[in-house]
Amino acid sequence: MRLTAWLPLAAISAFAICAAASRPHYGGTLRVEMRAAPAALDPAAPDANALRSLVFETLVRLDSEGLPQPCLAVSWQHDATAKHWHFTMRSGVRMHDGSPLTPATAAASLQALFPGVTVTATADAIAIRANHSLPELLLDLAHNGWLSTGPFRSTAFEPGRHATFAANDDYWGGRPYLDAIEVELGRALRDQLADLELGKADVVEIGPNDVHRAREHGRTVWSSAPIDLIALLFAPASPGHAEDSPLREAMALSIDRAAMHTVLLQKQGEVTAALLPQWLSGYAFAFPTAPDLPRARALANALPSAARTLTLSYDPAMRAARALAERVAVNARDAGLTVQTAPQNPHADLQLAAVRLTSLDPAQALAGLAAALGLPSPGPAESPETLYESERKLLDSFRAIPLFHLPMLYGVSSRVRVAAPPQVTCLGDWRFDNIWLAGNAL
Amino acid sequence: MTFRTRLLIAFAVTVAVAVSFVGAIVSTTTRRAFERLDQQRVSALAAQFHQEYFRRQREIAQQVRDIADAESTRDMVIALSGPDADPSIYVDAAQPLATAHNLDFLELVSASGSIVSSAQWPARFLYQEDWVKQRDDWNSREPFLYPEELPTGGALALISVRVATVGDSKLYVIGGQSLGREFLQSFVLPAGMRALLYREPQSMDAALAPLIDAMRKQHGEVTRTIQWSPDAASAETFHAIPLMGPAGELMGAFLVGSSRAAQVGLERFMVRVEILVAVGGILLALLVAFWTTARITRPVEALAAGARAVAAGDWHTQVQVHSYDEIGALAAAFNQMTRELLEQRDRLVQAERVAAWRELARRLAHELKNPLFPLQITVENLQRARAGQLAEQASGPAQPDEFDEIFRESTATLLAELGKLRGIVGRFSDFAKMPQPQLETVDLNGLVHDSLKLFEAQMWAAGVELRLDLAADLRAIRADPGQLGRALQNLVMNAIDAMPSGGVLSIRSAPYEGGVRLEVSDTGQGLTQEECDRLFTPYYTTKTHGTGLGLAIVQSVVSDHGGKIGVDSAPGKGTTFCIDLAA
Repeated sequence: MRLTAWLPLAAISAFAICAAASRPHYGGTLRVEMRAAPAALDPAAPDANALRSLVFETLVRLDSEGLPQPCLAVSWQHDATAKHWHFTMRSGVRMHDGSPLTPATAAASLQALFPGVTVTATADAIAIRANHSLPELLLDLAHNGWLSTGPFRSTAFEPGRHATFAANDDYWGGRPYLDAIEVELGRALRDQLADLELGKADVVEIGPNDVHRAREHGRTVWSSAPIDLIALLFAPASPGHAEDSPLREAMALSIDRAAMHTVLLQKQGEVTAALLPQWLSGYAFAFPTAPDLPRARALANALPSAARTLTLSYDPAMRAARALAERVAVNARDAGLTVQTAPQNPHADLQLAAVRLTSLDPAQALAGLAAALGLPSPGPAESPETLYESERKLLDSFRAIPLFHLPMLYGVSSRVRVAAPPQVTCLGDWRFDNIWLAGNAL
Repeated sequence: MTFRTRLLIAFAVTVAVAVSFVGAIVSTTTRRAFERLDQQRVSALAAQFHQEYFRRQREIAQQVRDIADAESTRDMVIALSGPDADPSIYVDAAQPLATAHNLDFLELVSASGSIVSSAQWPARFLYQEDWVKQRDDWNSREPFLYPEELPTGGALALISVRVATVGDSKLYVIGGQSLGREFLQSFVLPAGMRALLYREPQSMDAALAPLIDAMRKQHGEVTRTIQWSPDAASAETFHAIPLMGPAGELMGAFLVGSSRAAQVGLERFMVRVEILVAVGGILLALLVAFWTTARITRPVEALAAGARAVAAGDWHTQVQVHSYDEIGALAAAFNQMTRELLEQRDRLVQAERVAAWRELARRLAHELKNPLFPLQITVENLQRARAGQLAEQASGPAQPDEFDEIFRESTATLLAELGKLRGIVGRFSDFAKMPQPQLETVDLNGLVHDSLKLFEAQMWAAGVELRLDLAADLRAIRADPGQLGRALQNLVMNAIDAMPSGGVLSIRSAPYEGGVRLEVSDTGQGLTQEECDRLFTPYYTTKTHGTGLGLAIVQSVVSDHGGKIGVDSAPGKGTTFCIDLAA
């Protein structure tokens, strides 16, 4: 064969190889590392949030916009009062033990979760009836009523250390591309990043200050919505000056959030003075974030000198926590306050706290944040205006000083490809049934 | 105070003074030696400080220069000069650089003066360091002192500033080392010394404040001694070396402290030794002095005892001294003196005895001559009368009546004169046989009155006026009234004899020193001093008649009664006899 005849053939072969490399295919084990170390694979456990969506599913799930999408239920209707709901169940769904998921099975599970309502099953549907309106039922069902029908099956679980998942060949959405997922639990952020750079891990959690470095090294960065609220929280029973509102206000007015956001968080997430993030509430911008040093100094100077000294505790496992705490101390110093930082000091006057959103419903999210921060319950919110007013009241005492909303960030190796987003939901759940590994094609 | 005591004190004081003097010299010498040694050690440490300071200056300058000239720094300058510069990616750049270059402080400061990265205080990113923009000659400047702010407070830093320049873009590299504990630990400190760093305006112990104030005023090195407590051993000599900033301002001080505990301890030990030596020396001196003074004073005491014996009348005293020094010569002279005194006394006694015998012979001759002459005349008259009678009988019939008359007159005269002779002999005999007084309780005033009664007629005849001044409360005395009355009569008779032309006889009695005093005065012509001296000598008299035994008898009586008699007289002023008698 003449050389000129081989050239088109070689070009076609090269194109085919390249096309195969960029086309999703099955196989391979995804190596994931995470900082949390759950003791059990319990979908209700907060530290197992990320893992639960691999194994468990709910009737509905939320998309990246927070809107309910069909999952185990393919459709639903409700009456005008939202007291009666009807969910049509997906057919052909099997549990990980091989048994089919019937409406009766799902109804029994939901009945246990929602004792105040009546859950009944028909041949292909579930009916939920209540004596009161259930307008947030879809959001509730997106976060509760987990059933083991997910794309991956748990094959091994070593509490706090290691978990292994295998592809669910009978998954109703089709077999995942990955053969298996190995998850190392309880890994420190620094070790995770090192493992990513050494090729020992494919997906790791990273801090905001590692984003630039990860990208610089050719890694992909996955991000959830800014769901982690970073805030300064005064101890409720702190003796003496911690109860002093001017002190707390001086502290709040001294903080230069923008510099911290720019440098320490490398512009990840968003600066905030509100509890709910802007993307969820829409009014967070109304809470001013700029420092007011003259007023902070005036407030601090009016305090007795002994009351101007505070201790700030931080969790060293939290992302950029130490740097944030020290910067807060520097800002406070400019206002005439002395803040001494210390890791995990239970007797500190205030702490740098991180609280995660648990709901995409603003009212529920605010209530969850308030509860997590030890603030009074905000009460029911009928409208965005009343929600704003509730949040403003929560923050008026300056007992909680919101600083940032940060997303969950993951550094991803270059061999991990995404067939269809999202790979991480807005609330940080993993959606790994649509990713594949490029290296297995070669 | 005895001579021996004085000698002992003199010895002890001499030893104490000598020991104190030697101790003071030794203490002074030791103190000066310590001070010289301290000065040398402080100087050595100060030199060590300057050497280490300059070494660190060179090292810091080199390290900061290396960082500024590094390729990575140039990349940083370029990255930060773009319009989309993101300084946040360099926020952690300073710490590894500082560690790698052995710097305690390192800040990377952008051209606008904002901190890009800080090794010593990472949280101070984006804060302004405007002072760094105020100069353009950083690359030619030596490292200098700078008050560095840290989360834990301030620190004195030796820093260097270099400007990394790429084109028109630049980055300030500020690096340095802390002049702190690690800096101080680089010094080799002798025992008892320590080094401190003072940083303006650091609060410090109030005791060091005067040192710092003096250093501020003098703008130079200052040395002061700091007393940390009332205990002198706590004293510490500090030498302060000022640390100046680039503009000549005082930034701090390097303090070299030298404890005086060793010196004070040695001084105290020396004082204890001095006290022991002094006490021992004094005791030894006392022993030696006791032995020495005993040898010295024993002959002196013997001489004193001999003198007292001589004074008491024992003229036979001889002092036994067996030395050949001045004391021996003195003792020999003393012995010689007593021997000569004895010889002189013997000669005097013999002379007085001869004189007394002569006086006695003269008096006897005088007393006897008066009766003898009438006896001789009478006998001769009697012989002539007998011869005349015989001649008449031969020539004619005698005239027996005339002879008989002469015979009777002559024999009467002879008998009278013989009676006088017997009286004279009797008085001499009485004086020789003066009996011991028979003491009994006597009222002296009554005795005076009794005695005066015997002379009333004689005083009246002589025109003598009697004046009595007798104490009414005079206590009775123990005396022989016969002898004492006779003595009083002799004095009264002498007084009357002394006033042949009349006068005043005064007799006074009064209590005196537990006894009585009796004074008998006349207003006669008085006596000379020589007459007074010899007045009580037996057989001496100033009168033309008398035996000269009257006053001798008076003195003998008074002496036998344990009393004493004196005379006060001057020519023309009368005479007063004073008798003191014990009760």
